[in-house]
Amino acid sequence: MGPPKKGGYKGEKSKKRKRDEDEAWVYEDDDTNDTGEEAAVPNAAARDAERNDQNIDEDEFGAKDYRSQMMLKPDNASRPLWVAPNGHIFLESFSPVYKHAHDFLIAISEPVCRPEHIHEYKLTAYSLYAAVSVGLQTNDIIEYLKRLSKTSIPDGIIEFIKLCTLSYGKVKLVLKHNKYFVESPHPEVLQKLLKDPVIQECRLRRNVENESEEFITQVQDKKNIPNFGSKPGSSEQPNDGVTSVPEDITNFYDKIDNEEDEEENALETVSFEVNQEKIEIIQKRCIELEHPLLAEYDFRNDTVNPDIKVDLRPSAVLRPYQEKSLRKMFGNGRARSGVIVLPCGAGKSLVGVTACCTVRKRALVLCNSGVSVEQWKQQFKMWSTADDSMICRFTSEAKDKPMGCSILVTTYSMITHTQRRSWEAEQTMKWLQDQEWGIMVLDEVHTIPAKMFRRVLTIVQSHCKLGLTATLLREDDKIADLNFLIGPKLYEANWLELQKRGFIARVQCAEVWCPMTQEFYREYLVCKTSKRLLLYVMNPNKFRATQYLIRYHERRGDKTIVFSDNVFALKHYAIKMNKPYIYGPTSQSERIQILQNFKFNPKVNTIFVSKVADTSFDLPEANVLIQISSHGGSRRQEAQRLGRILRAKKGAIAEEYNAFFYTLVSQDTMEMAYSRKRQRFLVNQGYSYKVITKLSGMEEEQDLMYKTREEQGQLLQQVLAASDIDCEDEKIPGEGVRNVASGTRKVGQMSSMSGADDAVYYEYKKGNNINKHPLFKKFRY
Amino acid sequence: MVNVMKGVLVTCDGAMKQFLLHLDDTLKLGRKFIIQDLDENHLFISADILDILQAKIDDLMDQISFPLAEKGQ
Repeated sequence: MGPPKKGGYKGEKSKKRKRDEDEAWVYEDDDTNDTGEEAAVPNAAARDAERNDQNIDEDEFGAKDYRSQMMLKPDNASRPLWVAPNGHIFLESFSPVYKHAHDFLIAISEPVCRPEHIHEYKLTAYSLYAAVSVGLQTNDIIEYLKRLSKTSIPDGIIEFIKLCTLSYGKVKLVLKHNKYFVESPHPEVLQKLLKDPVIQECRLRRNVENESEEFITQVQDKKNIPNFGSKPGSSEQPNDGVTSVPEDITNFYDKIDNEEDEEENALETVSFEVNQEKIEIIQKRCIELEHPLLAEYDFRNDTVNPDIKVDLRPSAVLRPYQEKSLRKMFGNGRARSGVIVLPCGAGKSLVGVTACCTVRKRALVLCNSGVSVEQWKQQFKMWSTADDSMICRFTSEAKDKPMGCSILVTTYSMITHTQRRSWEAEQTMKWLQDQEWGIMVLDEVHTIPAKMFRRVLTIVQSHCKLGLTATLLREDDKIADLNFLIGPKLYEANWLELQKRGFIARVQCAEVWCPMTQEFYREYLVCKTSKRLLLYVMNPNKFRATQYLIRYHERRGDKTIVFSDNVFALKHYAIKMNKPYIYGPTSQSERIQILQNFKFNPKVNTIFVSKVADTSFDLPEANVLIQISSHGGSRRQEAQRLGRILRAKKGAIAEEYNAFFYTLVSQDTMEMAYSRKRQRFLVNQGYSYKVITKLSGMEEEQDLMYKTREEQGQLLQQVLAASDIDCEDEKIPGEGVRNVASGTRKVGQMSSMSGADDAVYYEYKKGNNINKHPLFKKFRY
Repeated sequence: MVNVMKGVLVTCDGAMKQFLLHLDDTLKLGRKFIIQDLDENHLFISADILDILQAKIDDLMDQISFPLAEKGQ
């Protein structure tokens, strides 16, 4: 939207790169040693369309005058979108061609904000890279954008698309018959690459006497596209006879649709073989030459690794969006590496299981807790024909015999563990390292720090990597790393759409304001910051509201989870109300016992959990979530928590709310600001929050606790007596460095260079009131 | 001697009253300004402090609100 905020660092850097073009190799190398993070990013990724509109006039509301660059078409009413010169695209979601435009935009750009009527997308270097990698061509992108747009496309944008896509996706690194090939449909590109001395060195020549520089030419015949349940062609849009759709749009859409298939029939490609030991070098060099290698795995022709015998059960039916995401991954009969973004509860595991069953090679599944290891195993048994003998868990508690198994489920920390292991674990690790894995599924991929991930990559040899996540978003700026560590984002689902179609639960989000009691607020004002947190979490009014909500929903027969990051509060609430609770130190067996009871025991309808349950606790029964304390302004946590109740409820009517998400905040405290901050991601997904200032019916409710002044006073004494450790959020070991302090963010870090900044947390300096939009300028009454 | 002071009656909720008392106690506005603590929801404060006080309360509100529209750059 607004003009970009860019440090001088970035411009300087790219200039420097240009200048040092010849010495780039050396320079790059140094760079790697210093930061390690920046190395694997091509120059093009540093381009950013945001800068294209710096000379545009702005009015006092921050609106920009683009009239000179965008000519309105006469039939604009029937076309669905605007493309602004800064790379932002606005789409009318009520347009008859919405569906076409939406699919297309998802492929080429990043969704920024998707409320009900107008959706905002943004073109970034990464998103275009992803578009190319799933098979879209530069000309098609431009042509289709032109047709969909209400206005002419600004020249700057066309140039930007060309810059970002022309060099991308032309060359692929393919693993076939266990030999690595660099493959391309464009012989001239390969010629150019081979002129480079570094790459020449990496080339593997089988027969040295044959000096000819011939490429291996082959015609690819790809009739065997994997089928996921239904035919790819069957998703044809129903012709509802809308006449207002300009014909060229529909025609072109069909053309693009067909092209995907046509291209797959016969495609002549040229390739040369690469020395296996020099893969890293050639990958790096190609990035510098602006031809990043896309990794693909030709699993059908892999004869060295044995097939495993797993198939999907006939009962496993993929939903349309799951199928779509998998088609992006296996589009040309080979497996691409990448990330699939689906909301929690939308069936990520099924996507993972299906991918494994499609590749049918040894599979490694990594997740982030012991509980989710169990859940993955369950999922495999439920959806595929794999049985206990084929699936093996490798965790500190469950060590099945891993040797020779075909599906291994383990945790990130188990793999990256650096301390001494038991003898058995040592053996397993050795075995694991020796294997060539067909596919590696990375669950909750956004949670792992890049460093840990690099370690995983050095330990595990895998042909293709599939990242699964619900929120491609971190409060630090490490998301961009994933693009080059795993691969581009292959698919991202629209939450609201899934909700409308009943694939995920329809959630009513509510923010409940609980007034601070006088005594608590007085202490809040005078005490030091660390204690404040405890005071607003322990606010008696909040306690009462929680108790009221729990009772209300228990009467309705709902299953409720209460989240609290603060352990002191968690214990206090749970013990007072006599409910089971789970937090860090709770043992695995106790956890499972509590969860089982929650699932099946009609007497246990409410559980209290700390943030250990944020991710990967699959609780399909739960449909009410109450949040009493949270981790500052973390948007990801908010989304993950919402995900706990998103799983579609049985027999639910899609029109009605069938799940409830309450956030309890103490009025007039910092919690209000945090809460607002946390909601941004979900608001961008189209969710709206209802603010409840008074819970009706709470007055009538008998015997809620902390009614009298004396009781409240006692509670206050307890809070004040609590130690400093009690005031802190729970720390979970092995969680990696949490970048809580916002002050550590520096201008000019990689993600701001890469243009992926809409997916990362931007910290604005204080004092931004000066330039605030006039409509939002002051919050006063 | 009789002192005549012009005052304003403030009606507020319990928490806000605590905030005002806190400002008064810590001399945040430079001086004491509460003339009489009437009851749970009412205070009687001196009239001439009103402007500064309003600004102070606005600051509090700014602190606990987060701009959803992140346009300020």
